[in-house]
Amino acid sequence: MAHIVIDENKCKSCYLCVDVCPKKMIKKSEKIGKTGEFIVEFDKEKNECIGCAQCALVCPDIAIVEVYK
Amino acid sequence: MQQVYSKPKSIKENSSFTFCSGCDHGLAIKLVAEVIDELNLQEETIAVASSGCSVFLYDFLDVDCVESPHGRACAVATGIKRAHRAKGDDKFVFTYQGDGDFASIGIAESLHSALRGENITAICINNTNYGMTGGQLAPTTVMGQITTTSPTGRNKEYHGYPIKAAEHIALCDGTSFSARVALYDVKNIINTKKQIKKAFEYQKRGLGFSFIEILSSCPTNWKLSPQDSHKKIEEKLSKVYPLKVFKDIENE
Repeated sequence: MAHIVIDENKCKSCYLCVDVCPKKMIKKSEKIGKTGEFIVEFDKEKNECIGCAQCALVCPDIAIVEVYK
Repeated sequence: MQQVYSKPKSIKENSSFTFCSGCDHGLAIKLVAEVIDELNLQEETIAVASSGCSVFLYDFLDVDCVESPHGRACAVATGIKRAHRAKGDDKFVFTYQGDGDFASIGIAESLHSALRGENITAICINNTNYGMTGGQLAPTTVMGQITTTSPTGRNKEYHGYPIKAAEHIALCDGTSFSARVALYDVKNIINTKKQIKKAFEYQKRGLGFSFIEILSSCPTNWKLSPQDSHKKIEEKLSKVYPLKVFKDIENE
């Protein structure tokens, strides 16, 4: 199953990945990150990830460290 | 299951970028690291960092780095390149500078490196202000843009007009490659990586000075969200600073 791995310590809550995901699989979580804002999480329940890696491409902080297809 | 993306090897383990949320500096460094990996240059690269936010390059990139005085990155790179070549040991040398560093304080060093056809690569991050010191007016600030030192917006009577670095460098005879790129969407990020790779390859082939200007966002000093910053680059800045290849010695 295609999925991504997010490094929670690196996420700075810019939400660029949330906007770019064609399947809207990335969303704001309830956890607060280092910048004091909600970090992102991968929606594991409705996993429709196609492994396009666009989220990893736009992430400015390499918080999306691995993408599997 | 196949891994389609992993962290570039040239990025140091356990390092995380110290830039502001949504800053394009991280993206630019990531693309540089990916190109270094693809061309297998990690062992022979010497990077020259400058003053400004771009200085943090050596904290993240796992290659040999030198910190240069403000604006003098191209001059330092020239010395490194020539000294190693005299020893018969050709190194890959690139500079990573901001727009204030490359196009204001270091304009003489930058332009004359291009005129001499120095076989180095310069990468200039253009975010239209001095980001690290709090968003003052830079030579690249566009007309009407409000900064801390131009509170009513840049006007031509007092501040003059912005400099277009990629066009100026393209006019120099020693330049092999000069392009302006942006990072506001996936298509442009892929194109940016392609152009950085081309610039690096031109240096490897010894064709002369290669230059990439990257239009980049500064959400903190522009006082916009990362999304709105990218929209501003797409709608406003890319009209003032056209995104194209201005000189390519292969296509002439």
